[in-house]
Amino acid sequence: MSLYAFQGAVSLGLGYGLMVLGVYITFRVLDFPDLTVDGSLPLGGAVSSVLISRGLDPFLSLLPAFLAGFLAGTVTGFLSARLKILNLLASIITMTALYSVNIRVMGGPNVSLINEPTVFLPLRGLGLSPMLSSNLVFLGFILVIASLLIWLMKTEYGQALIATGDNPKMITSLGVNTSFTVVTGVGLSNALVALSGALIAQNQGSADVGSGIGTIVAGLASIVIGETLFPSRRVSAAIVAVVLGSFLYRLVIALALNVRFKGFSLTASDLQLITAALVVAALILPRLKRGFGEKK
Amino acid sequence: MLKIRRISKYFGKGTVNEVAAIRNLSLEVRPGEFVCVIGSNGAGKTTLLNCVSGTIIPDEGEVLLDGRDVTRWPEHERAALIGRVFQDPLSGTCASMSIEENLALANRRGKRRTLARGLKSAERALFAQILGKLDLGLEVRLGDPAGLLSGGQRQALTLVMATLQRPTLLLLDEHTAALDPKTAGLIMDLTLELVERDKLTTFMITHNMQQALNYGDRLVMIHNGEIILDLGRTEKERLTVGDLLDHFNESKNGLGGVLNDRLVLG
Repeated sequence: MSLYAFQGAVSLGLGYGLMVLGVYITFRVLDFPDLTVDGSLPLGGAVSSVLISRGLDPFLSLLPAFLAGFLAGTVTGFLSARLKILNLLASIITMTALYSVNIRVMGGPNVSLINEPTVFLPLRGLGLSPMLSSNLVFLGFILVIASLLIWLMKTEYGQALIATGDNPKMITSLGVNTSFTVVTGVGLSNALVALSGALIAQNQGSADVGSGIGTIVAGLASIVIGETLFPSRRVSAAIVAVVLGSFLYRLVIALALNVRFKGFSLTASDLQLITAALVVAALILPRLKRGFGEKK
Repeated sequence: MLKIRRISKYFGKGTVNEVAAIRNLSLEVRPGEFVCVIGSNGAGKTTLLNCVSGTIIPDEGEVLLDGRDVTRWPEHERAALIGRVFQDPLSGTCASMSIEENLALANRRGKRRTLARGLKSAERALFAQILGKLDLGLEVRLGDPAGLLSGGQRQALTLVMATLQRPTLLLLDEHTAALDPKTAGLIMDLTLELVERDKLTTFMITHNMQQALNYGDRLVMIHNGEIILDLGRTEKERLTVGDLLDHFNESKNGLGGVLNDRLVLG
Protein backbone atom coordinates (compact mmCIF):
# COMPACT_ATOMS: atom_id res chain seq x y z
CA MET A 1 0.00 0.00 0.00
CA SER A 2 1.33 3.40 -0.92
CA LEU A 3 1.95 6.09 1.66
CA TYR A 4 -0.65 8.15 -0.12
CA ALA A 5 -3.30 5.46 0.32
CA PHE A 6 -2.33 5.09 3.98
CA GLN A 7 -2.65 8.82 4.58
CA GLY A 8 -5.99 8.75 2.81
CA ALA A 9 -7.18 6.01 5.15
CA VAL A 10 -6.08 7.98 8.20
CA SER A 11 -7.84 11.05 6.89
CA LEU A 12 -11.09 9.19 6.22
CA GLY A 13 -10.87 7.44 9.59
CA LEU A 14 -10.63 10.81 11.29
CA GLY A 15 -13.31 12.41 9.13
CA TYR A 16 -15.82 9.67 9.78
CA GLY A 17 -14.76 9.33 13.42
CA LEU A 18 -17.50 11.68 14.61
CA MET A 19 -20.04 9.67 12.62
CA VAL A 20 -18.84 6.51 14.37
CA LEU A 21 -19.26 8.20 17.77
CA GLY A 22 -22.82 9.10 16.76
CA VAL A 23 -23.62 5.55 15.68
CA TYR A 24 -22.08 4.30 18.94
CA ILE A 25 -24.70 6.26 20.93
CA THR A 26 -27.62 4.59 19.18
CA PHE A 27 -26.24 1.16 18.40
CA ARG A 28 -24.38 0.44 21.64
CA VAL A 29 -25.70 2.81 24.30
CA LEU A 30 -29.38 2.88 23.37
CA ASP A 31 -29.50 -0.53 21.64
CA PHE A 32 -31.34 1.23 18.80
CA PRO A 33 -30.32 0.20 15.24
CA ASP A 34 -30.62 3.58 13.56
CA LEU A 35 -30.49 3.91 9.77
CA THR A 36 -31.37 7.61 9.95
CA VAL A 37 -27.61 8.25 9.73
CA ASP A 38 -27.60 7.38 6.00
CA GLY A 39 -29.73 10.51 5.59
CA SER A 40 -28.36 12.72 8.34
CA LEU A 41 -24.76 12.52 7.11
CA PRO A 42 -25.59 14.17 3.75
CA LEU A 43 -28.07 16.43 5.60
CA GLY A 44 -25.22 17.90 7.63
CA GLY A 45 -23.13 18.35 4.48
CA ALA A 46 -26.08 19.93 2.65
CA VAL A 47 -26.98 22.42 5.39
CA SER A 48 -23.39 23.47 5.97
CA SER A 49 -22.51 23.77 2.26
CA VAL A 50 -25.61 25.73 1.33
CA LEU A 51 -25.07 28.16 4.19
CA ILE A 52 -21.39 28.63 3.28
CA SER A 53 -22.29 29.28 -0.35
CA ARG A 54 -24.75 31.91 0.92
CA GLY A 55 -21.89 33.61 2.75
CA LEU A 56 -22.09 32.18 6.29
CA ASP A 57 -18.85 31.57 8.16
CA PRO A 58 -17.83 27.88 7.71
CA PHE A 59 -17.39 27.38 11.47
CA LEU A 60 -20.80 28.90 12.20
CA SER A 61 -22.38 26.72 9.49
CA LEU A 62 -21.55 23.66 11.62
CA LEU A 63 -24.09 24.66 14.26
CA PRO A 64 -27.16 24.60 11.96
CA ALA A 65 -25.83 21.34 10.48
CA PHE A 66 -25.58 19.87 14.00
CA LEU A 67 -29.10 21.06 14.85
CA ALA A 68 -30.53 19.73 11.57
CA GLY A 69 -29.08 16.32 12.39
CA PHE A 70 -30.50 16.51 15.91
CA LEU A 71 -33.93 17.31 14.50
CA ALA A 72 -33.75 14.37 12.05
CA GLY A 73 -32.84 12.08 14.95
CA THR A 74 -35.68 13.32 17.13
CA VAL A 75 -38.11 12.51 14.29
CA THR A 76 -36.90 8.89 14.31
CA GLY A 77 -36.96 8.84 18.12
CA PHE A 78 -40.49 10.23 18.18
CA LEU A 79 -41.75 7.71 15.59
CA SER A 80 -40.29 4.91 17.67
CA ALA A 81 -40.79 6.00 21.29
CA ARG A 82 -44.10 7.81 21.05
CA LEU A 83 -45.81 6.40 17.96
CA LYS A 84 -44.50 2.89 18.76
CA ILE A 85 -43.19 2.19 15.26
CA LEU A 86 -40.51 -0.53 15.31
CA ASN A 87 -37.17 1.30 15.82
CA LEU A 88 -35.42 -0.03 12.71
CA LEU A 89 -38.46 0.76 10.57
CA ALA A 90 -38.82 4.23 12.10
CA SER A 91 -35.24 5.02 11.12
CA ILE A 92 -35.74 3.72 7.56
CA ILE A 93 -38.79 5.99 7.22
CA THR A 94 -36.81 9.06 8.32
CA MET A 95 -33.86 8.10 6.13
CA THR A 96 -36.14 7.81 3.09
CA ALA A 97 -37.77 11.17 3.82
CA LEU A 98 -34.35 12.79 4.27
CA TYR A 99 -33.40 11.95 0.69
CA SER A 100 -36.06 14.37 -0.53
CA VAL A 101 -35.30 16.85 2.24
CA ASN A 102 -31.61 16.91 1.33
CA ILE A 103 -32.37 17.66 -2.33
CA ARG A 104 -34.75 20.43 -1.21
CA VAL A 105 -32.09 21.91 1.05
CA MET A 106 -29.49 21.92 -1.73
CA GLY A 107 -31.91 22.82 -4.50
CA GLY A 108 -30.45 19.88 -6.43
CA PRO A 109 -28.57 16.62 -5.88
CA ASN A 110 -25.31 18.39 -4.94
CA VAL A 111 -23.67 21.68 -4.01
CA SER A 112 -20.12 22.68 -4.86
CA LEU A 113 -17.88 24.49 -2.40
CA ILE A 114 -15.12 25.27 -4.86
CA ASN A 115 -13.57 28.64 -4.08
CA GLU A 116 -15.62 28.89 -0.90
CA PRO A 117 -14.00 29.19 2.53
CA THR A 118 -13.98 26.09 4.75
CA VAL A 119 -12.95 25.30 8.32
CA PHE A 120 -9.71 23.88 6.89
CA LEU A 121 -8.67 27.13 5.25
CA PRO A 122 -7.02 28.85 8.26
CA LEU A 123 -4.49 25.99 8.70
CA ARG A 124 -3.79 25.79 4.98
CA GLY A 125 -3.18 29.52 5.11
CA LEU A 126 -0.39 28.81 7.62
CA GLY A 127 1.40 26.85 4.92
CA LEU A 128 0.41 23.33 6.05
CA SER A 129 -0.36 20.76 3.36
CA PRO A 130 -4.09 20.25 2.61
CA MET A 131 -3.94 16.67 3.95
CA LEU A 132 -2.22 17.66 7.19
CA SER A 133 -4.51 20.59 7.84
CA SER A 134 -7.56 18.41 7.21
CA ASN A 135 -6.28 15.75 9.59
CA LEU A 136 -5.48 18.27 12.30
CA VAL A 137 -8.94 19.86 12.11
CA PHE A 138 -10.66 16.45 12.13
CA LEU A 139 -8.49 15.34 15.04
CA GLY A 140 -9.33 18.51 16.99
CA PHE A 141 -13.04 17.92 16.55
CA ILE A 142 -12.76 14.27 17.53
CA LEU A 143 -10.79 15.05 20.70
CA VAL A 144 -13.30 17.69 21.79
CA ILE A 145 -16.42 15.66 20.94
CA ALA A 146 -15.10 12.37 22.36
CA SER A 147 -14.15 14.15 25.62
CA LEU A 148 -17.58 15.74 25.84
CA LEU A 149 -19.21 12.38 25.18
CA ILE A 150 -17.17 10.64 27.89
CA TRP A 151 -18.16 13.42 30.30
CA LEU A 152 -21.83 13.20 29.23
CA MET A 153 -22.00 9.46 29.82
CA LYS A 154 -20.98 10.00 33.45
CA THR A 155 -23.69 12.58 34.12
CA GLU A 156 -27.11 11.72 35.55
CA TYR A 157 -28.57 12.11 32.04
CA GLY A 158 -25.88 9.91 30.49
CA GLN A 159 -26.36 7.19 33.09
CA ALA A 160 -30.11 7.27 32.43
CA LEU A 161 -29.33 6.98 28.69
CA ILE A 162 -27.18 3.89 29.28
CA ALA A 163 -29.86 2.38 31.53
CA THR A 164 -32.52 3.04 28.87
CA GLY A 165 -30.56 0.89 26.45
CA ASP A 166 -29.80 -1.78 29.05
CA ASN A 167 -33.09 -2.14 30.93
CA PRO A 168 -35.95 0.24 30.03
CA LYS A 169 -38.37 -1.46 32.44
CA MET A 170 -36.05 -0.87 35.39
CA ILE A 171 -35.18 2.72 34.57
CA THR A 172 -38.88 3.58 34.09
CA SER A 173 -39.55 2.22 37.57
CA LEU A 174 -36.82 4.58 38.79
CA GLY A 175 -38.61 7.59 37.36
CA VAL A 176 -36.97 8.13 33.97
CA ASN A 177 -39.16 8.90 30.99
CA THR A 178 -37.61 6.59 28.39
CA SER A 179 -39.38 8.41 25.55
CA PHE A 180 -37.34 11.47 26.46
CA THR A 181 -34.02 9.61 26.67
CA VAL A 182 -34.65 7.80 23.37
CA VAL A 183 -35.72 10.94 21.47
CA THR A 184 -32.83 13.06 22.76
CA GLY A 185 -30.31 10.21 22.48
CA VAL A 186 -31.15 9.43 18.86
CA GLY A 187 -31.18 13.21 18.24
CA LEU A 188 -27.70 13.61 19.71
CA SER A 189 -26.41 10.67 17.70
CA ASN A 190 -27.64 12.14 14.42
CA ALA A 191 -26.38 15.59 15.38
CA LEU A 192 -22.85 14.12 15.58
CA VAL A 193 -23.34 12.28 12.29
CA ALA A 194 -24.52 15.50 10.59
CA LEU A 195 -21.54 17.36 12.05
CA SER A 196 -19.31 14.67 10.60
CA GLY A 197 -21.11 15.05 7.24
CA ALA A 198 -20.62 18.83 7.29
CA LEU A 199 -16.87 18.51 7.92
CA ILE A 200 -16.48 15.83 5.24
CA ALA A 201 -18.38 17.94 2.68
CA GLN A 202 -16.20 20.95 3.45
CA ASN A 203 -13.09 18.80 3.13
CA GLN A 204 -14.21 17.32 -0.20
CA GLY A 205 -15.39 20.65 -1.55
CA SER A 206 -18.91 19.45 -2.25
CA ALA A 207 -22.03 18.01 -0.67
CA ASP A 208 -23.83 15.18 -2.41
CA VAL A 209 -27.18 13.55 -1.72
CA GLY A 210 -25.73 10.10 -2.40
CA SER A 211 -22.83 10.45 0.03
CA GLY A 212 -24.76 8.87 2.90
CA ILE A 213 -25.25 5.43 1.37
CA GLY A 214 -23.66 2.79 3.57
CA THR A 215 -22.99 5.15 6.49
CA ILE A 216 -24.64 2.86 9.03
CA VAL A 217 -22.73 -0.19 7.84
CA ALA A 218 -19.42 1.67 7.89
CA GLY A 219 -20.29 2.91 11.39
CA LEU A 220 -21.15 -0.58 12.60
CA ALA A 221 -18.00 -2.02 11.05
CA SER A 222 -15.86 0.58 12.84
CA ILE A 223 -17.59 -0.05 16.17
CA VAL A 224 -17.34 -3.81 15.99
CA ILE A 225 -13.70 -3.74 14.85
CA GLY A 226 -12.80 -1.31 17.63
CA GLU A 227 -14.62 -3.26 20.32
CA THR A 228 -13.25 -6.60 19.18
CA LEU A 229 -9.64 -5.43 19.18
CA PHE A 230 -9.86 -3.24 22.27
CA PRO A 231 -12.51 -4.81 24.48
CA SER A 232 -13.48 -2.88 27.59
CA ARG A 233 -16.46 -2.65 29.86
CA ARG A 234 -15.88 1.02 30.57
CA VAL A 235 -17.78 3.47 28.41
CA SER A 236 -14.86 5.90 28.20
CA ALA A 237 -12.51 3.19 26.92
CA ALA A 238 -15.17 1.96 24.49
CA ILE A 239 -15.48 5.47 23.04
CA VAL A 240 -11.73 5.57 22.38
CA ALA A 241 -11.89 2.03 20.96
CA VAL A 242 -14.58 2.85 18.39
CA VAL A 243 -12.63 5.90 17.16
CA LEU A 244 -9.62 3.61 16.66
CA GLY A 245 -12.00 1.19 14.95
CA SER A 246 -12.86 3.95 12.49
CA PHE A 247 -9.19 4.16 11.44
CA LEU A 248 -8.73 0.44 11.19
CA TYR A 249 -11.86 0.07 9.13
CA ARG A 250 -10.64 2.62 6.57
CA LEU A 251 -7.25 0.93 6.58
CA VAL A 252 -8.76 -2.48 5.84
CA ILE A 253 -10.80 -0.95 3.03
CA ALA A 254 -7.69 0.72 1.57
CA LEU A 255 -5.83 -2.59 1.74
CA ALA A 256 -8.68 -4.42 0.07
CA LEU A 257 -8.79 -1.88 -2.74
CA ASN A 258 -5.09 -2.52 -3.29
CA VAL A 259 -5.54 -6.22 -3.93
CA ARG A 260 -4.33 -7.26 -7.39
CA PHE A 261 -4.80 -10.84 -8.48
CA LYS A 262 -4.01 -11.89 -12.06
CA GLY A 263 -5.51 -8.82 -13.62
CA PHE A 264 -8.42 -8.71 -11.19
CA SER A 265 -8.64 -5.82 -8.82
CA LEU A 266 -11.30 -4.36 -6.58
CA THR A 267 -12.59 -0.90 -7.39
CA ALA A 268 -14.13 1.88 -5.32
CA SER A 269 -17.60 0.69 -6.28
CA ASP A 270 -16.89 -2.63 -4.54
CA LEU A 271 -16.55 -0.73 -1.26
CA GLN A 272 -20.05 -1.47 0.01
CA LEU A 273 -19.62 -5.18 -0.66
CA ILE A 274 -16.30 -5.24 1.18
CA THR A 275 -17.85 -3.33 4.07
CA ALA A 276 -20.79 -5.71 4.30
CA ALA A 277 -18.44 -8.71 4.32
CA LEU A 278 -16.29 -6.99 6.93
CA VAL A 279 -19.25 -6.32 9.22
CA VAL A 280 -20.33 -9.95 9.02
CA ALA A 281 -16.79 -11.08 9.80
CA ALA A 282 -16.47 -8.67 12.70
CA LEU A 283 -19.88 -9.57 14.11
CA ILE A 284 -19.22 -13.30 14.13
CA LEU A 285 -15.65 -12.96 15.37
CA PRO A 286 -16.58 -12.72 19.09
CA ARG A 287 -18.73 -15.82 18.67
CA LEU A 288 -15.91 -17.68 16.91
CA LYS A 289 -13.69 -16.87 19.88
CA ARG A 290 -16.16 -18.51 22.24
CA GLY A 291 -16.43 -21.51 19.98
CA PHE A 292 -19.25 -22.64 17.76
CA GLY A 293 -22.42 -24.28 19.01
CA GLU A 294 -22.24 -22.48 22.31
CA LYS A 295 -25.18 -20.23 22.95
CA LYS A 296 -24.61 -16.62 23.95
CA MET B 1 -51.92 5.84 52.07
CA LEU B 2 -52.97 3.69 49.12
CA LYS B 3 -56.64 3.86 48.21
CA ILE B 4 -58.01 1.78 45.38
CA ARG B 5 -61.57 2.81 44.57
CA ARG B 6 -63.80 0.54 42.53
CA ILE B 7 -61.30 -0.15 39.75
CA SER B 8 -62.02 -2.42 36.80
CA LYS B 9 -59.77 -3.49 33.98
CA TYR B 10 -60.94 -5.38 30.91
CA PHE B 11 -58.78 -7.03 28.31
CA GLY B 12 -60.06 -7.40 24.76
CA LYS B 13 -62.80 -4.91 25.55
CA GLY B 14 -65.63 -4.85 23.02
CA THR B 15 -64.68 -8.22 21.53
CA VAL B 16 -66.20 -11.65 22.15
CA ASN B 17 -63.10 -12.47 24.16
CA GLU B 18 -63.65 -9.66 26.66
CA VAL B 19 -62.21 -10.64 30.05
CA ALA B 20 -62.48 -8.64 33.24
CA ALA B 21 -59.08 -9.02 34.89
CA ILE B 22 -60.27 -6.93 37.83
CA ARG B 23 -63.83 -5.93 38.51
CA ASN B 24 -65.04 -3.21 40.81
CA LEU B 25 -62.23 -3.80 43.26
CA SER B 26 -61.71 -1.53 46.26
CA LEU B 27 -58.90 -1.76 48.78
CA GLU B 28 -57.41 0.62 51.30
CA VAL B 29 -53.92 0.21 52.69
CA ARG B 30 -53.13 2.15 55.86
CA PRO B 31 -49.76 3.85 56.43
CA GLY B 32 -47.15 1.39 57.63
CA GLU B 33 -49.26 -1.62 56.78
CA PHE B 34 -47.73 -4.70 55.10
CA VAL B 35 -50.36 -6.29 52.86
CA CYS B 36 -49.92 -9.67 51.19
CA VAL B 37 -52.07 -10.20 48.12
CA ILE B 38 -52.56 -13.81 47.17
CA GLY B 39 -54.27 -15.50 44.27
CA SER B 40 -53.75 -18.14 41.62
CA ASN B 41 -52.52 -17.49 38.08
CA GLY B 42 -55.01 -15.31 36.25
CA ALA B 43 -56.73 -14.16 39.45
CA GLY B 44 -55.92 -10.54 38.62
CA LYS B 45 -53.21 -9.85 41.18
CA THR B 46 -50.63 -8.74 38.63
CA THR B 47 -53.20 -6.53 36.89
CA LEU B 48 -53.98 -5.00 40.27
CA LEU B 49 -50.31 -4.34 40.92
CA ASN B 50 -49.83 -2.88 37.44
CA CYS B 51 -52.75 -0.50 38.05
CA VAL B 52 -51.00 0.70 41.21
CA SER B 53 -47.57 1.04 39.55
CA GLY B 54 -48.95 2.78 36.46
CA THR B 55 -47.87 0.12 33.98
CA ILE B 56 -51.54 -0.10 32.98
CA ILE B 57 -54.37 2.34 33.54
CA PRO B 58 -57.68 0.94 34.83
CA ASP B 59 -60.79 1.34 32.65
CA GLU B 60 -62.84 2.46 35.65
CA GLY B 61 -62.15 3.67 39.15
CA GLU B 62 -59.37 5.59 40.86
CA VAL B 63 -56.03 4.93 42.48
CA LEU B 64 -55.00 7.35 45.23
CA LEU B 65 -51.52 7.47 46.70
CA ASP B 66 -50.76 9.69 49.66
CA GLY B 67 -54.02 11.55 49.03
CA ARG B 68 -53.21 12.25 45.37
CA ASP B 69 -55.22 10.82 42.51
CA VAL B 70 -52.52 9.07 40.47
CA THR B 71 -54.88 7.04 38.26
CA ARG B 72 -53.63 8.67 35.05
CA TRP B 73 -50.06 9.45 36.06
CA PRO B 74 -47.59 7.78 33.69
CA GLU B 75 -45.41 5.09 35.24
CA HIS B 76 -42.21 7.16 35.37
CA GLU B 77 -43.96 9.96 37.30
CA ARG B 78 -45.54 7.59 39.78
CA ALA B 79 -42.09 6.14 40.35
CA ALA B 80 -41.39 9.16 42.58
CA LEU B 81 -43.73 7.56 45.17
CA ILE B 82 -43.19 3.86 44.51
CA GLY B 83 -40.27 1.51 45.08
CA ARG B 84 -40.57 -1.66 43.06
CA VAL B 85 -39.11 -5.16 42.97
CA PHE B 86 -39.98 -7.41 40.03
CA GLN B 87 -40.45 -11.16 39.85
CA ASP B 88 -37.56 -11.62 37.43
CA PRO B 89 -34.28 -10.89 39.28
CA LEU B 90 -32.81 -9.62 35.97
CA SER B 91 -35.52 -6.94 35.62
CA GLY B 92 -34.53 -4.78 38.56
CA THR B 93 -30.93 -3.91 37.71
CA CYS B 94 -28.82 -2.93 34.70
CA ALA B 95 -26.48 -5.84 33.97
CA SER B 96 -23.88 -3.76 32.14
CA MET B 97 -23.65 -1.10 34.85
CA SER B 98 -21.76 -1.45 38.11
CA ILE B 99 -23.45 -2.04 41.46
CA GLU B 100 -22.69 1.53 42.53
CA GLU B 101 -24.00 2.95 39.25
CA ASN B 102 -27.23 0.99 39.70
CA LEU B 103 -27.54 2.32 43.24
CA ALA B 104 -26.86 5.86 42.02
CA LEU B 105 -29.66 5.51 39.45
CA ALA B 106 -31.98 4.40 42.26
CA ASN B 107 -30.78 7.22 44.52
CA ARG B 108 -32.26 9.63 41.95
CA ARG B 109 -35.66 7.95 41.75
CA GLY B 110 -38.30 10.58 41.09
CA LYS B 111 -35.74 13.35 40.58
CA ARG B 112 -34.82 15.23 37.43
CA ARG B 113 -31.79 13.81 35.65
CA THR B 114 -29.43 16.73 35.09
CA LEU B 115 -25.91 17.11 33.78
CA ALA B 116 -24.52 16.77 37.30
CA ARG B 117 -22.32 13.77 38.00
CA GLY B 118 -24.27 10.51 37.89
CA LEU B 119 -22.30 9.04 40.80
CA LYS B 120 -20.77 11.25 43.47
CA SER B 121 -17.97 10.10 45.77
CA ALA B 122 -20.10 10.86 48.84
CA GLU B 123 -22.68 8.43 47.45
CA ARG B 124 -20.06 5.72 47.14
CA ALA B 125 -19.35 5.95 50.86
CA LEU B 126 -23.07 5.96 51.64
CA PHE B 127 -23.72 2.86 49.50
CA ALA B 128 -20.81 0.99 51.09
CA GLN B 129 -22.20 1.85 54.52
CA ILE B 130 -25.78 0.76 53.70
CA LEU B 131 -24.66 -2.48 52.04
CA GLY B 132 -22.22 -3.18 54.87
CA LYS B 133 -25.01 -3.12 57.43
CA LEU B 134 -27.01 -5.66 55.43
CA ASP B 135 -24.23 -8.23 55.43
CA LEU B 136 -24.64 -9.20 51.77
CA GLY B 137 -20.96 -9.03 50.92
CA LEU B 138 -21.76 -6.52 48.19
CA GLU B 139 -20.06 -3.53 49.82
CA VAL B 140 -16.65 -4.68 48.59
CA ARG B 141 -17.94 -5.25 45.04
CA LEU B 142 -19.35 -1.78 44.32
CA GLY B 143 -17.42 -1.51 41.04
CA ASP B 144 -18.48 -4.90 39.69
CA PRO B 145 -21.12 -5.05 36.96
CA ALA B 146 -24.50 -6.13 38.34
CA GLY B 147 -24.58 -8.81 35.63
CA LEU B 148 -21.95 -10.77 37.54
CA LEU B 149 -24.24 -11.22 40.56
CA SER B 150 -26.39 -14.28 41.16
CA GLY B 151 -30.17 -14.05 40.91
CA GLY B 152 -30.51 -13.81 44.68
CA GLN B 153 -27.84 -11.11 44.95
CA ARG B 154 -29.46 -9.12 42.16
CA GLN B 155 -32.82 -9.35 43.90
CA ALA B 156 -31.20 -8.20 47.16
CA LEU B 157 -29.62 -5.29 45.30
CA THR B 158 -32.99 -4.41 43.74
CA LEU B 159 -34.55 -4.37 47.21
CA VAL B 160 -31.86 -2.03 48.49
CA MET B 161 -32.36 0.15 45.39
CA ALA B 162 -36.15 0.25 45.84
CA THR B 163 -35.78 1.48 49.42
CA LEU B 164 -32.76 3.76 48.95
CA GLN B 165 -35.02 6.78 48.59
CA ARG B 166 -37.76 6.01 51.12
CA PRO B 167 -40.78 5.08 48.95
CA THR B 168 -44.33 6.06 49.91
CA LEU B 169 -45.27 2.57 48.84
CA LEU B 170 -43.11 -0.52 48.35
CA LEU B 171 -44.45 -2.82 45.63
CA LEU B 172 -43.22 -6.41 45.61
CA ASP B 173 -44.31 -8.44 42.60
CA GLU B 174 -43.77 -12.12 43.55
CA HIS B 175 -40.19 -11.08 44.13
CA THR B 176 -39.05 -14.43 45.52
CA ALA B 177 -40.94 -16.65 43.06
CA ALA B 178 -37.97 -17.15 40.74
CA LEU B 179 -35.53 -18.05 43.53
CA ASP B 180 -34.69 -21.34 45.22
CA PRO B 181 -36.34 -21.82 48.67
CA LYS B 182 -33.23 -20.96 50.70
CA THR B 183 -32.49 -17.78 48.73
CA ALA B 184 -36.19 -16.88 48.79
CA GLY B 185 -36.05 -17.10 52.61
CA LEU B 186 -32.99 -14.83 52.74
CA ILE B 187 -34.67 -12.29 50.45
CA MET B 188 -37.82 -12.32 52.62
CA ASP B 189 -35.65 -11.72 55.72
CA LEU B 190 -33.98 -8.80 53.97
CA THR B 191 -37.41 -7.51 52.90
CA LEU B 192 -38.64 -7.52 56.49
CA GLU B 193 -35.45 -5.88 57.72
CA LEU B 194 -35.78 -3.01 55.23
CA VAL B 195 -39.54 -2.65 55.75
CA GLU B 196 -39.10 -2.43 59.52
CA ARG B 197 -36.06 -0.16 59.29
CA ASP B 198 -37.98 2.47 57.34
CA LYS B 199 -41.55 1.65 58.54
CA LEU B 200 -42.56 1.14 54.92
CA THR B 201 -46.07 0.69 53.61
CA THR B 202 -45.77 -2.52 51.65
CA PHE B 203 -47.90 -4.22 49.03
CA MET B 204 -46.65 -7.71 48.26
CA ILE B 205 -48.04 -10.07 45.68
CA THR B 206 -47.38 -13.75 46.04
CA HIS B 207 -48.80 -17.10 45.09
CA ASN B 208 -47.08 -18.78 47.99
CA MET B 209 -49.69 -19.27 50.75
CA GLN B 210 -47.18 -20.03 53.47
CA GLN B 211 -45.36 -16.80 52.68
CA ALA B 212 -48.63 -14.85 52.82
CA LEU B 213 -49.41 -16.37 56.24
CA ASN B 214 -45.92 -15.84 57.65
CA TYR B 215 -45.32 -12.28 56.58
CA GLY B 216 -47.21 -9.02 56.79
CA ASP B 217 -50.09 -7.57 58.82
CA ARG B 218 -52.86 -8.41 56.45
CA LEU B 219 -53.82 -11.04 53.90
CA VAL B 220 -55.99 -10.32 50.88
CA MET B 221 -57.09 -13.14 48.59
CA ILE B 222 -58.13 -12.35 45.05
CA HIS B 223 -60.05 -14.57 42.71
CA ASN B 224 -61.52 -13.75 39.31
CA GLY B 225 -60.65 -10.10 39.78
CA GLU B 226 -62.43 -9.73 43.10
CA ILE B 227 -61.39 -9.79 46.73
CA ILE B 228 -62.75 -12.96 48.32
CA LEU B 229 -60.93 -12.78 51.64
CA ASP B 230 -59.44 -9.94 53.69
CA LEU B 231 -57.88 -10.90 57.03
CA GLY B 232 -56.10 -8.88 59.68
CA ARG B 233 -53.05 -10.02 61.62
CA THR B 234 -54.86 -11.84 64.45
CA GLU B 235 -57.24 -13.73 62.14
CA LYS B 236 -54.38 -14.60 59.85
CA GLU B 237 -52.26 -16.01 62.66
CA ARG B 238 -54.87 -18.63 63.45
CA LEU B 239 -54.93 -19.94 59.87
CA THR B 240 -52.98 -22.71 58.19
CA VAL B 241 -52.33 -23.25 54.51
CA GLY B 242 -55.00 -25.98 54.62
CA ASP B 243 -57.61 -23.52 55.90
CA LEU B 244 -56.70 -21.09 53.16
CA LEU B 245 -57.03 -23.75 50.50
CA ASP B 246 -60.40 -24.84 51.88
CA HIS B 247 -61.60 -21.30 51.80
CA PHE B 248 -60.27 -20.86 48.33
CA ASN B 249 -62.02 -23.96 47.02
CA GLU B 250 -65.27 -23.06 48.74
CA SER B 251 -65.42 -19.65 47.16
CA LYS B 252 -64.78 -20.97 43.70
CA ASN B 253 -67.03 -24.01 43.82
CA GLY B 254 -68.52 -24.84 40.47
CA LEU B 255 -65.90 -22.81 38.65
CA GLY B 256 -63.67 -25.78 37.87
CA GLY B 257 -59.91 -25.94 37.79
CA VAL B 258 -59.67 -26.76 41.49
CA LEU B 259 -57.01 -29.37 41.01
CA ASN B 260 -54.87 -27.03 38.98
CA ASP B 261 -55.05 -24.32 41.58
CA ARG B 262 -54.20 -26.74 44.35
CA LEU B 263 -51.04 -27.52 42.44
CA VAL B 264 -50.27 -23.89 41.76
CA LEU B 265 -50.88 -22.69 45.28
CA GLY B 266 -49.54 -25.62 47.28
